[in-house]
Amino acid sequence: MISFILMVNKQGQTRCSKYYQWLPMEERVALESEIIRKCLSRSELQCSFLEYRGYKTIYRRYASLFFIIGTKPDIDAAQVGGENKENELGLLEFIHNLVETMDKWAGSICELDIMYQLEEVHFILDEMVMNGYIVETCKGATLKAIDLLERESRKGEAMFK
Amino acid sequence: MLGHDGSFGYIKAVELAASSSIIHKRTGYLLCSACLAPSHEFRFMLVNQMQRDLSSSSILEICASLIAVTSIITGDMVPAMQSLVLKMLDHNSEIVRKKAIIAMHRFHQLAPESVEKQELVEKLRKVICDRDPSVMGSSLNVIESMAAVDPKPFKELVASLISILKQIIEHRLPTDFEYHRVPAPWIQMKIIRILAALGKNDSNASNGMYEILGETMKKADVGINAGYAVVYECVRTITCIYPNSTLLDAAADAISRFIQSKSQNLKYFGVTGLAAIVESHPQYAEAHQMSVIECLEDRDETLQRRTLDLLYKMTNPVNVQFITGKLLDFLRGTTDSFLKEDLTTKVCSLAERYAPNNLYVETITELFAISGEFVSQEVSQQLMTLIAEGAGEDEDADADTILRQHSVTIYADLLEKPIAKLPQLLIETMAWVLGEYAYLSADYTLEEILNKLCELVRKGKQLKESTRKIIVTSIMKLVAQAGTCPPQAAKIIDDFSKSKNQDLQQRCIEFQNLITCAPHMLGEVLPVDASCEDIQVDPDLSFMDAYVSQAIANGAKQYENLDDDDDDDDYDLTGSAKASVFKMTPYAKPTAPGASYTSSSMGGVGSNSPHIAGTGGAPPSGSYNHSQHNGITSANTTAPANEPQLNVRNVANVWGKKPANLPTSTPIAPEPGNFSAPVPAPVPSNNWSTTTSSYSTQQTSQPPSESVKTEEQLRKERMAAALFGGSAPSNAPGIARRRAPRTTVAAPVAPTLAPVQAAPTGPAPVVLPPTHPAPAPAPVVDLLDFMDDSTPIQTSAALDVDVLAPSPIEPAPVADPIHEEPAVPTKPDDPFAASGLFDGFSDAPLSSLQADSTFEHNGQSLVPLTITTAQFGEKWGSVPHASPISTPSSKCTTLDSFMDVCKSVGLYNIEAIPATNEGICGGMVGGTELVLIHGKISGSGISTKVDVTIKSTDATLGRCLAMYMQNLIR
Repeated sequence: MISFILMVNKQGQTRCSKYYQWLPMEERVALESEIIRKCLSRSELQCSFLEYRGYKTIYRRYASLFFIIGTKPDIDAAQVGGENKENELGLLEFIHNLVETMDKWAGSICELDIMYQLEEVHFILDEMVMNGYIVETCKGATLKAIDLLERESRKGEAMFK
Repeated sequence: MLGHDGSFGYIKAVELAASSSIIHKRTGYLLCSACLAPSHEFRFMLVNQMQRDLSSSSILEICASLIAVTSIITGDMVPAMQSLVLKMLDHNSEIVRKKAIIAMHRFHQLAPESVEKQELVEKLRKVICDRDPSVMGSSLNVIESMAAVDPKPFKELVASLISILKQIIEHRLPTDFEYHRVPAPWIQMKIIRILAALGKNDSNASNGMYEILGETMKKADVGINAGYAVVYECVRTITCIYPNSTLLDAAADAISRFIQSKSQNLKYFGVTGLAAIVESHPQYAEAHQMSVIECLEDRDETLQRRTLDLLYKMTNPVNVQFITGKLLDFLRGTTDSFLKEDLTTKVCSLAERYAPNNLYVETITELFAISGEFVSQEVSQQLMTLIAEGAGEDEDADADTILRQHSVTIYADLLEKPIAKLPQLLIETMAWVLGEYAYLSADYTLEEILNKLCELVRKGKQLKESTRKIIVTSIMKLVAQAGTCPPQAAKIIDDFSKSKNQDLQQRCIEFQNLITCAPHMLGEVLPVDASCEDIQVDPDLSFMDAYVSQAIANGAKQYENLDDDDDDDDYDLTGSAKASVFKMTPYAKPTAPGASYTSSSMGGVGSNSPHIAGTGGAPPSGSYNHSQHNGITSANTTAPANEPQLNVRNVANVWGKKPANLPTSTPIAPEPGNFSAPVPAPVPSNNWSTTTSSYSTQQTSQPPSESVKTEEQLRKERMAAALFGGSAPSNAPGIARRRAPRTTVAAPVAPTLAPVQAAPTGPAPVVLPPTHPAPAPAPVVDLLDFMDDSTPIQTSAALDVDVLAPSPIEPAPVADPIHEEPAVPTKPDDPFAASGLFDGFSDAPLSSLQADSTFEHNGQSLVPLTITTAQFGEKWGSVPHASPISTPSSKCTTLDSFMDVCKSVGLYNIEAIPATNEGICGGMVGGTELVLIHGKISGSGISTKVDVTIKSTDATLGRCLAMYMQNLIR
């Protein structure tokens, strides 16, 4: 299952992070900086997967922004000694799917969109991934939920203003 | 928050979650789930809010709550939320339903006791048939996760899963679910993964899957990543479920395309896919040897790690040496503690499962040294048990001795290293092994080891109490074995008799009393090699009978048995315990190291002798080895094909292919080209990987002269051969643990040795007369006049016999006479003419009168050993002790001068190869001890350097000769 999803830029600044397993803040900071360092040290010719502290990590770079997904063995399966069964290539494509979804949402997604509409990005992620599992990969369905949310909030504003 | 503590704001986040604005609410929940630790009390404050939102009429509020539930709730809160979430499973909005099922699963993860599994499974069955594909898709996550633990409740879903998958690949889902024209790839992957869990070890369930899997794989293969991901998932499932050959072939085909792909990502998939398939079907690895080797050397660490994982999975008794070697190499190079831990467990399990005993000891010792902190106590216990008990088969007493001897050699060498770097566990193991078996050491005397152990305790201030205890006990054992108590040992025991540790103190005082009052009992209290003997208590105290009857005769009172007399009981117990430990008969003396080694090492662990030699010596450069291995191989191949009795070299084949598929009967006399080789085999410290590879290359590599491949390619091929040695279907990989390979080898090897050993004792007198016409040796030896004038003649006689010996005792005559021909190398009528004794000795005194004369050892001179190159090659591997010397030389600037020196020492010049400036010589001392020499001259003029490797059946002999030769050459 997915343990965390990170969006980190080339300078190592985390733009968005989402953890599906609890990690104390200090550990998150350490983990993020180490992982991005590892990602940056890899060339285009190397594969998009790396193992880090027992996490199977998948990363993909879009311009200056890295999308990083860390996975661990499933909680249930880990109790019986199961391995991490995540399909790396599947997750790599999932990152692309996420970016495509965000593209559709923001027109053409860029780092600034993520910075300034962070909560919306989180909402999109919430629609697509829950409790570490991919629940929605259909762009239309994801964006429909976001659209509903936006419309609802606008309605509220109209009422009070 | 920006590196600052934001906890002051958490309460605001909780307040925000209660906001009426949906955006605010979501943001509040979001913040809480991101920031509140599981133990944070604010989480409880949210339960009420979440409950309220769940009962709301707005879909969005329900969703906000459901999303928050998965990350905020803890085990105690489950009962409060459960019933509400359960209702949501029947909500009429699909957005709610798909979240509700995940939330239910989360509850199950957190508090399995409060969520009925049965009930959840029932709900899942319903949800998976939901009319909305998204809901179905999210329920698959839950099924997958639960089926991985217990597939049983989901078995009946196989049919529905298959039909869902069928609909998906037939593009029946809305086009919105397509990703780059692959229909819902993630849902496909998930279904396929669930099928793997359900079809595992279940041929019934698997049967139904074959068709759909094949179809899915075909349809997914559209040349984009998403498609490959599905294909890969199919491959994994195919290897997991009950095997089907058509599908396996398809999977193997996909893997080979992956692994040969230019894309690193696909290569990664190729390697992991291969790892999945080789575990149960090793034959598929064969085709990808080179690719695997390339991946192993890839610059990409991820790929390397995956490849190591693959290696781990394809280990079998044949390639275990190579693979553990690789793992250890990697272990040495890494600093990542996760990886270290992982590799350590892997190496342990591999060594335990497959490695032959000697290798096991070596590997584990190495492991201790590299990553001692990750090795568990059990491993060291197991190691000691193995050394003590041997393999548990009685007929193999020899092998046990060798194993112990070998371990003692390893650990004695360890003593030389600074202890600060060794982990405690290793020191403990080392101390125990030395304490028990130090007498087996070939290189050190008991006293030397004793002194070193004393040193260790004295210096080792940082040692733990328990470790020190073990060392001190070992010292006591050694004192008992040696029979004398050197002053250092006495001092240490004295020191520790004041130790704060009671146990240690008691041991020391007991020992002191023993040694002062009853030194003769020492050997019985601390017996040699009795660590696994059961202590039998003699409750009757029969050994006291004589004493008792005497006492009674003297008028003592009869003993009345008082059941409640505790004091007496105590006394009795100690007395009787001793009685059983005591062995009244003396222990059989351990066989003299030298002798036992000759026989048993050749017979048993020939293949291991290189490492014995290697542990001490410095590793030579890798390229040097590589350049020569080819030769060994070819020299090797010639021998075993012909006759059973040359099998000595074949021992090496444990690590390689069985020689069965070798070209038939090549003549025994090798071409000179081949021949540069036999020599370097002994050396390297990482020897096992390299030697292994050389031995098993028989199939792939060709003699260097014919080879058109580059050195690099050859090296890789060799690695591949070492690696894939056992994966051919012919060698079933399942051969039992450890012992198997060794025993099988031991059998064919034993007879070969017979001639050498039997020679001097057996037919010696018969052939004695012919020695007389050769008086030359005697005067030469006299020149030096070392010890005993009479011996040289005798020994030379004995030796001459030996030269001849192979024919009378030859096992070959029993077999095919044609086979005998190559077995006994061209043996002319006159042994002396053949052996070159004559020219050798007539020349020697004249040309080099200075100090040159034949070498003597223990009063017996070194005499030439007339053998052919092939025989040399085959003996080389089986001779255990190597003493390499490398020295600049002014005297031996050419190969000829070197060969002359050898001749003058008393060796037979077997062959000189001017092309490579190498020469080999053979000699024998006392009719039993073999000496084999390989020399290589490099450089010219004043910068000439001579590298000589002296192999001998006796370690001291080898060392002496090495020193002697070094002086001569220099």
